[in-house]
Amino acid sequence: MATASTAATFRPSSVSASSELTHLRSPSKLPKFTPLPSARSRSSSSFSVSCTIAKDPAVVMADSEKIKAAGSDPTMWQRPDSFGRFGKFGGKYVPETLMHALSELETAFYSLATDEDFQRELAEILKDYVGRESPLYFAERLTEHYRRENGEGPLIYLKREDLNHTGAHKINNAVAQALLAKRLGKKRIIAETGAGQHGVATATVCARFGLQCIIYMGAQDMERQALNVFRMRLLGAEVRGVHSGTATLKDATSEAIRDWVTNVETTHYILGSVAGPHPYPMMVRDFHAVIGKETRKQAMEKWGGKPDVLVACVGGGSNAMGLFHEFVDDTEVRMIGVEAAGFGLDSGKHAATLTKGDVGVLNGAMSYLLQDDDGQIIEPHSISAGLDYPGVGPEHSFLKDVGRAEYFSVTDEEALEDSYGQTKEDIPYIGIIYKGIHPFAFSAKGSDLKDDNAHHDHESYYGDRDTESLVK
Amino acid sequence: MSSSKIQVRGQPLLRVPARNHRMTHLVICGVSTKRHHREINALSSNSGPSLDSVPTRTDKRQFLRGDGNGKFGRFGGKFVPETLMSRLIELEDEFNFVRCDHEFQEELTTALRDYVGRETPLYFAERLTEHYKNIVPTIEGGPEIYLKREDLSHCGSHKINNALAQAMISRRLGCSRVVAATGAGQHGVATAAACAKLSLECTVFMGAADIEKQSFNVLSMKLLGAQVISVEGTFKDASSEAIRNWVENLYTTYYLSGTVVGPHPCPIIVREFQSVIGKETRRQAKQLWGGKPDVLVACVGSGSNALGLFHEFVGDEDVRLVGVEAAGLGLDSGKHSATLAFGDVGVYHGSMSYLLQDDQGQILKPHSVGVGLEYPGVGPEISFMKETGRAEFYTATDEEAIQACMRLSRLEGIIPALEASHALAFLDKLVPTLRDGAKVVVNCSGRGDKDLDTLIQRGMPSSFC
Repeated sequence: MATASTAATFRPSSVSASSELTHLRSPSKLPKFTPLPSARSRSSSSFSVSCTIAKDPAVVMADSEKIKAAGSDPTMWQRPDSFGRFGKFGGKYVPETLMHALSELETAFYSLATDEDFQRELAEILKDYVGRESPLYFAERLTEHYRRENGEGPLIYLKREDLNHTGAHKINNAVAQALLAKRLGKKRIIAETGAGQHGVATATVCARFGLQCIIYMGAQDMERQALNVFRMRLLGAEVRGVHSGTATLKDATSEAIRDWVTNVETTHYILGSVAGPHPYPMMVRDFHAVIGKETRKQAMEKWGGKPDVLVACVGGGSNAMGLFHEFVDDTEVRMIGVEAAGFGLDSGKHAATLTKGDVGVLNGAMSYLLQDDDGQIIEPHSISAGLDYPGVGPEHSFLKDVGRAEYFSVTDEEALEDSYGQTKEDIPYIGIIYKGIHPFAFSAKGSDLKDDNAHHDHESYYGDRDTESLVK
Repeated sequence: MSSSKIQVRGQPLLRVPARNHRMTHLVICGVSTKRHHREINALSSNSGPSLDSVPTRTDKRQFLRGDGNGKFGRFGGKFVPETLMSRLIELEDEFNFVRCDHEFQEELTTALRDYVGRETPLYFAERLTEHYKNIVPTIEGGPEIYLKREDLSHCGSHKINNALAQAMISRRLGCSRVVAATGAGQHGVATAAACAKLSLECTVFMGAADIEKQSFNVLSMKLLGAQVISVEGTFKDASSEAIRNWVENLYTTYYLSGTVVGPHPCPIIVREFQSVIGKETRRQAKQLWGGKPDVLVACVGSGSNALGLFHEFVGDEDVRLVGVEAAGLGLDSGKHSATLAFGDVGVYHGSMSYLLQDDQGQILKPHSVGVGLEYPGVGPEISFMKETGRAEFYTATDEEAIQACMRLSRLEGIIPALEASHALAFLDKLVPTLRDGAKVVVNCSGRGDKDLDTLIQRGMPSSFC
C-alpha cells in the first residue's frame, strides 16, 4: 500500500513488524504520581486490574504478523478490546486510584451511546452551537494545481472542520465530553492543552454549560500562545502554568492527570486527543467520528461513491481518527496520516512519532513515542503548534502496524511552501488559510495518485494564530 | 472629503450652497424625530421630493427596491462623476440579470453552502436568556434570546455573503481586478478570500490607524494574496481612495463595496446578497418555534448586517427592527459613530443619507471600539427606515459593548466581535421592556478573534477566577 516516491525527504513508514517487540521501552518519564495521603478505598470495586496484561490468553500481545494472519479483515479487529488495547497498543497505564474513574467513564460512555435523549441533545448542540455539518468542499483551484500534463489528476475535496465554532474539530469532542460530565454529575472540568486549541474548546464548552474549568498548559507554551491563554480566560477558565519538565504539552498532561487523581470525585478530565488511558482513545475517536460519518454521506451525495483517499495531519491523531474511523472497514479507501517533520527527520527537531519513534508508554497508553536511548522523551518541534506531541494515539500505532493506514511526514518548509500554492510569491489557491497545511505539502509529492476522488481533511483553525509565522 | 454635489445625469443640479446643504427635514407620518436632529431649512424648492411623495411606512415598494434611481424616499441616488455612470448602469443590468439567472444562483448557493458554510445556525442562547431572567424578575419567563451565528461563516463574519457574490459578478463583467476598502478588515479578508477562490487580483485599501488595530486581518489578507494599501486616516479615507483607484482603472477593475452605502445600485446589491441572513432566519424561526421573531436586533455601522437581517421582515409589521449604533465614548463626547442619532442629511460617497458633519459640512471623524462601526455615514435605506419609523435606532458605548462581549464569552462560550457586541449590549435596555416569551433574534455578525488585542489593551482583567 505504501507508495514509492522520489522526493528525498519523503519517508514512508517502513519499520518491520518483528522489530516491534524488542523495542518495548517504557520511558523513565512516566507521569509521576505522588501517593495520596488518604488513599481512597474502592471497596465496592472488584477491579484490581494490573497494568500489564496477559492474564487472559485472548489478549496476549500479538505482533502485527499475527493480526495480519488473523485476517486482514478489518471488521475482525477489536478496536479496542475490553482492556482498551488496539493490538498491543493502548491500555490503561495509570495509578490504581484512577482505575475506578476510568471504568466509570467507560460504563457511562457505553450507556450514553444508546441513550436517545443524550444523542438528541448532542446532535442539537453540534448543529446549533458548533455549526455542523461542516461542508465537504470541492477545492477547484487546488485540484487544477495538481492536475498533471495529460489532464489527469485527483479531485481534491476539503472537509471543512475549520468552519466549526472555535475553528477546529476539537470542539466535537469537548462538547460531547462536557455533556457526559454533566450526566455524571461532575461540576469541575480539567484539561491539558499544548497549542491552546483544545484548551479554548474546553473553556468554550464549560462556559456554555456553566462548568468550572481549569486548563493546564506548559509555561513555555503559554508564552508562545499568549493570545489563546487570553481567550481561555475571557471564556472564564482558569489557566494554570506547568513549569515542570520541559514545560510543554506532555508535562501539562501529567499535571492534569495528577489533578484528576486528587479530585476524581468531582472532576472530569477532558482529554484532547485520542491518546491517554482507555477509554479515552476510543471515546475521543467516537466523538470525532461524526467527521467521517458526514463525509460518507456527503461523498455519496456529491459523486455517488466513497472517497478513494483520506488525508489528515497527525499530532495526537484525533482529527485523523475522526475522519478515518468510519472508513476503516472499507479496505478500498486509502488512509494517509501526515506528521510533522519539523526541520527534517534527521535534524532531531520534528514530531514524526510514527516514523521515527519507538514503542513505549506515555500518559497512560502504550504507543509509539519519541524517546532517546535512555527512554527520555524527546522534545518535539513543528511550526504547527498543534502537531508537536511526542506521542501519538495508540490506534494510529495499531493502524500503522497492520498496514491499514500509511503515515508520512512533511517538513515545516514544505508545509509553508504549499500554503502559498507553490512558492511564497504565488497567489494561494483556495482562499482558505489553514494550519493543517501539512497534508497539502504531501499532495505535492503524491503525484502518483490516480484519477480519483482524493479527499483531504482540511482540519485547521482558520489559521488565525498561524498567520504571523506563515507570513514571515 | 467634503460632501460635494455633482451633477447627476438627467437631473437638475441641486443647488446646494457649500456651507449650508441641509435638507428639508419635516416630521413625517406623525413619527417624531430624535431630539438631536435639527429642524433644518429647506433647499431650493425644485429639488428633493415634495411632501406628498414622501413614502409612508406602508409603502413597501420603496423598501424592497428603491425607485428606478435607487432612491429610498429622499435618500440614496447616484451622486457620482459622469465617468462612472455607464459603469454603474452596466453593473445594475448585470445584477438584475443574475438575480434571475438560474446558473448564477445555483453556483452562488453551492458556494454559500460548501465554501462559506451556510446556513448559519439560529442558536438559542440559554444562559444569556437565563441571565436576563435573573436580573429582571418576571412572573413567568422573560424573553428568549436567539443568536444568528454569522460568526461561524468562513472568514468569521457576514461580509463573505456579499464579497463572494460580487466577486462572481465581477468575473462575469470581465474584470480581472477587484478593489475594496475595509475598516475592521473583515470585508478585506472576505474579498481577498473570494478573489483567491475565483482567481481575481485583489487590492484592499485600509486606513493606517485601522491597520495597526487589526493587524491580524491585515496578515490574513496578505496571506490570501491581496495587496494591502495603507491610507492615511480610517475607513472613510480608505473608501475614498478605493473609489478613486476604481475610477482610474474603470474597465479592468471592479469596486467591491462592502456595505450598503455608495451610489445606486451598490446599496441594493449588497443588501440583496446579505438578505440570505433574514431568509434563513424566517425559516429557522418557523422550525424552532413555529412563528416569527418578535424583535430583531443588529449593530449598525453602515448597515449591511442589519439590512441583511431586517430586509426579509420589512413587510412584517409585527416584527420590530432595532438597530444599535456606536456611541463610542459617549454621545456628548464628540467621539462616536452615532450617525442616525447625531447626523444630518447630506451626500457622501455617492449617495444621500444621514452623515456626521459639522456646521461647515465637513465630515466628522467617527470613533468606536468596534472598528467596523466607525463610519460617519450610514446606508440610505437605513436612513429611510429611520425616517419612516419602520426601524428604531439606539446606541451603545464602547464600555457597554466590551462588557457585553465579555458577558457572552463567559455565559455562552462565544466571543463576539466588538461590533456585534453593540447589539448585545442593547439587550440590557431592551429586555426589561419585552413581554414574557418574546423571541429576540440578535445578529451575531462576527467573531471576536480580531479584537483580542483591543480587549487586552483595554486592561480587561486577564484572570477571572
